[in-house]
Amino acid sequence: MRHAALLLGCSALLLVGCRRDAEVAAPTSGERIDGPFELELPAGFPPLPEHDGARLTDASVRLGRALFFDPRLSRDGTIACASCHFPDRAFSDTVAISRGVEGRSGMRNSPPLTNLAWHPAFFRDGGVPTLEQQAIAPIHDPVEMDFNVQSAAELLADKEPYAGLSELAYGEPLSAFHLVRSLASYQRTLVSGWSRYDRYRQGDPTALTQAERRGLELFNSPALRCGTCHSGHDLSDHRYHNIGLYTLSPDPGRARISLDPLDHGKFKTPTLRNIALTAPYMHDGTLWTLEEVVDHFARGGQAASNKSPLVAGFTITDQDRSDLVAFLNALTDERPIDQVERP
Amino acid sequence: MERMVMICLSALLLVACRKDKVEPEPTAPAPLPAVTGVLKLTVVPVWEGQPLQMFSEYRNHADQRVTVELLKMYLGELELTRPGTAKRLSDVIYMDLGTGPVSHFWAVDTGAWVGLRTHLGVPEALNMSDPSLYGAGHPLNVNNGTYWTWATGYRFAMFEGRYDLDPASTATLVNAFAYHPGRAFCYLPLQFDPADGLRVEAGDTTELRVRVDVERFFHSPEGVIDMATENVDHGNVPALALKMATNITLSMSVE
Repeated sequence: MRHAALLLGCSALLLVGCRRDAEVAAPTSGERIDGPFELELPAGFPPLPEHDGARLTDASVRLGRALFFDPRLSRDGTIACASCHFPDRAFSDTVAISRGVEGRSGMRNSPPLTNLAWHPAFFRDGGVPTLEQQAIAPIHDPVEMDFNVQSAAELLADKEPYAGLSELAYGEPLSAFHLVRSLASYQRTLVSGWSRYDRYRQGDPTALTQAERRGLELFNSPALRCGTCHSGHDLSDHRYHNIGLYTLSPDPGRARISLDPLDHGKFKTPTLRNIALTAPYMHDGTLWTLEEVVDHFARGGQAASNKSPLVAGFTITDQDRSDLVAFLNALTDERPIDQVERP
Repeated sequence: MERMVMICLSALLLVACRKDKVEPEPTAPAPLPAVTGVLKLTVVPVWEGQPLQMFSEYRNHADQRVTVELLKMYLGELELTRPGTAKRLSDVIYMDLGTGPVSHFWAVDTGAWVGLRTHLGVPEALNMSDPSLYGAGHPLNVNNGTYWTWATGYRFAMFEGRYDLDPASTATLVNAFAYHPGRAFCYLPLQFDPADGLRVEAGDTTELRVRVDVERFFHSPEGVIDMATENVDHGNVPALALKMATNITLSMSVE
């Protein structure tokens, strides 16, 4: 009996002693216990993919959100993640190429940050496989934040809300390890799927106007075939295509990662969700309106040697263009993407 | 009996708990048991046999003026070898050779060893790992400035400086060169076997000195770097990356 009790006690100790990276950690204060973040998913969306067995907790997401808006993640304290990813623009930027510390120019257009939890790889060339690793990149990039995750964590570790939230989420002070995980956790909660188009798909025939419905038909028509790549719940196949923006793209795109010349100028299909909010368009922000984008595809793009055969051009009337753009404008969420501060 | 149960479970507790962050490798071994000695690996950067001086002006194989301003590299899967066996010393070590020779130490079994085998670079599994796992002092810590944030992986070597293509010029060197070989195809084998082998005595330190002749980075029987056209590789010029990685491995020899 005494042996059994001892065994039980030690087994409990064993279980308590082992902590998963992002599981709920017991607060040292005993005042509050971190719980799972109640992420709301749109109807018809696949479940949130598990990442290394981690699950979103309230404190880790709030910690990530605080970091996302904090310019102290940059070397000179001027650039936050939100400086180039505006919440009211579906977390994209309003300029073609974002500016980093000291006005340094980046390389590509800042993409929107929605539905990232379902992305198989990050950046427009898919060079980084996890959101955690992605979070390191802009902080270290000399033309973005020009800092490093270790120094940033050390700078913020004893400051609120970071000290308290880190204890709550991880049971220890903020480190680079927790910093990138929190940023990733917050970004996984940025879900887009509450547009009028979604309501229409769910059976509300009044959600789209007649022009928008005609635009949807054109979108999926054999002539335009937009829906071939802009498919699924994120309206993206998350694959890489050369759409003929240039005959010879000055940006190697996916080839930068794969080193395969056949991937030159290929970029990950962007989501079309909230597309009305995310101008300018294309990987380098060279097209400023949706009409220009439609015209690009109608012309069939430039004659790049590895251009997608899907970009072959099509005939489109002014009315078609107007209806197609009307449909694209119906892809805007009707509620805030950020669920942390929701009512 | 109770004590036995307690000891077993305590051991299980210690084994079962995984640390989130990888601790840095010790730079010097703990006190040694009697059957153990110390292997000291010293990597010495030189230019044509003389200690490399950063920012000093040199002439390369094509009589072009160059200065070296940054020199870092990784060695992966270091193993001490003898016939039929090998002892893993480290998965990866990092060296910033900009301030001169760099030494690493390991406690090893005594006796005769043939030499050291390793690779230029970071083993694939570590190269794909999350750098935020590695704390200060670890070879893969991001503060070393060797991590490619945009492509997930480490630069196996970083060799930077300035050059002038005109041998007759006396102008200040302004053109920058930067070679950052990385990725799996640049993970190249190295073997350092002293002619007399390595004899490790109990309680003593045996030093293996490896010379890196930086001038040879620009040329080898396997390839010559044309500074006019081959002066920058940030992981985007695979042929140049492989040529530079090959030249680096061929520049290294037992001193």
